[in-house]
Amino acid sequence: MLQELKRSPLYLILFAVMAIMLLPFFWTVTTSFKTPQEAQSYPPTWIPKQLRWQNYIEAWNAAPFGRYFLNSLFVATATAIGGVITSVLAAYAFAKMNFIGKNVLFYLLVGTMMIPGQMLLVPNYLTIVKLRWYDTYQALIVPWVANVFGIFLLRQFFRTIPDELWDSAQIDGCSRFRFLWQFVVPLSKPALVTLFLFRFIGSWNAFLWVLIMTSREEMRTLPVGLYYFIGEAGTDYHLLTAAATFAMMPIIFLFLVAQRQFIQGVARTGLK
Amino acid sequence: MRGRRLRKVIGESLEAYLYLLPAFAVLGVFTFYPVVRAFQISLYRWPVIGPKTFVGFGNYLKLIGDREFWMALRNTSYYVLGSVPLTLTLAILVAVLLNSRIRGRVMARVAFFIPYITPMVAATVVWRWIYDRDYGLLNYLLEILEKALRHLGLAVNLGPVDWLNQPGLAIPILIVIGVWQYVGYQAIILLAGLQNIDRQYYDAAKVDGANAWHLFRHITVPLLTPQIFFLLIISMIGAFQLFTQVFILFVGNPGPRDSAMTIVFYIYEKAFREFYMGVASAAAYILFGIIFLLTLIQFRLSRRWVFYGG
Repeated sequence: MLQELKRSPLYLILFAVMAIMLLPFFWTVTTSFKTPQEAQSYPPTWIPKQLRWQNYIEAWNAAPFGRYFLNSLFVATATAIGGVITSVLAAYAFAKMNFIGKNVLFYLLVGTMMIPGQMLLVPNYLTIVKLRWYDTYQALIVPWVANVFGIFLLRQFFRTIPDELWDSAQIDGCSRFRFLWQFVVPLSKPALVTLFLFRFIGSWNAFLWVLIMTSREEMRTLPVGLYYFIGEAGTDYHLLTAAATFAMMPIIFLFLVAQRQFIQGVARTGLK
Repeated sequence: MRGRRLRKVIGESLEAYLYLLPAFAVLGVFTFYPVVRAFQISLYRWPVIGPKTFVGFGNYLKLIGDREFWMALRNTSYYVLGSVPLTLTLAILVAVLLNSRIRGRVMARVAFFIPYITPMVAATVVWRWIYDRDYGLLNYLLEILEKALRHLGLAVNLGPVDWLNQPGLAIPILIVIGVWQYVGYQAIILLAGLQNIDRQYYDAAKVDGANAWHLFRHITVPLLTPQIFFLLIISMIGAFQLFTQVFILFVGNPGPRDSAMTIVFYIYEKAFREFYMGVASAAAYILFGIIFLLTLIQFRLSRRWVFYGG
């Protein structure tokens, strides 16, 4: 007890910093329930006088947010699944197979990590147009299914699986491909879940790429839809905060459910 | 015998290439090829429609003479120099705090990490409103502070500040958003490093009479340098690519009087608003060159201060 008391300044600092970190979220959610008058009142109120769910309905109807939401969900899910599949295959080759040019290809991958993604926007835009993928889901998914960080993460994980397992499977007449899906993949579930979550969030949060590669309203994802909504809503903060809340909530929910995987994933690899 | 081994190597290689094919096909088209292609485009006058003409390094020369491009370089450097050291310093403090034996650490880690996974666009919408002159939270907090100070007999005038419309404030308010978003992420990586430090070092130093500051300065920091170095590189590369926060905070504009024009914003504007693909690609290559050079220098310097295990 005395020990805890001695540490009370530490708690005070921690609590203050945490409050600052979370204040924007608190403020967003509370404002999303205020009436238009209350949202623009000064001085602002900390707790809404009444819960106005109407804001969510109004924001949802003011722009096709339902469509944006489904687009985000579809694009992020497809990108994440595709990313896991390509990474599993490539990582397995790097971790457990011998082939000509292995080092060269590996350093090629390491090299790409230095390239700022934005540098490639212009040529990629021209490629997308040439493929006639402009304004399609392919344009939002396919370029992002290969992921160097994912390959590194899984390669590290696969290397911990003992070779004896493969040797005995081989004696039983198991093909390498079957071995990969029936033994390696189930054993690596935590790493695969981590990778899936990171790819999902990365895709869900993407902005500039979607802004450039699409023009039709039906193709917009939540972040791009939200951007156009700022222009329409102006200072209608009760609607803007409602829209921001439902763009953030799925990701925050996902994070809270799987926070252990996330934090360990980041701590281990610095994965982005 | 030899022939059989060779055949085995070739067989396994062919199979491995099949496994690599999906990833490398996508990387090839959307990463390796565009690196070369961007350079090629940067040597042309390249309007979206119409003939492309070779201009050599003309686009690069044009950039050197463009005041707006210099402005973008200046603003971006300002942001990098402001946000990278500040975020890292605070992250070290947060990590040390989270590493002390206190309750509620799991909750605290989650709280610090949330800004990092939140969609940047949604988060920036919220910040836009925090900075609002008339209804914003920040001016309200300043007013409370002002009143408190007045009670203490200090008459100061703190507000209201028009945060979003003052050229001198554009980069600082972006730095605040950046710190808020990345400090938790960096602290988590540093925390992992802290937890790997053998307690014996501390015990031994304490026996020798070291105080808390000595422990921090001569044990914690040196043993944390690999993580600090990693974060320095990653956050520098990230900070040089500042775009989305600017775009949302100033609703599609590069801040009041271009005060938040960054290199990536410049690239975006040239390529997708003015459709000068050649100039945009040249700017992109200059950005790449800067990042490449600075990373190289960092790696060189790291030999002097990064400590990889004993």
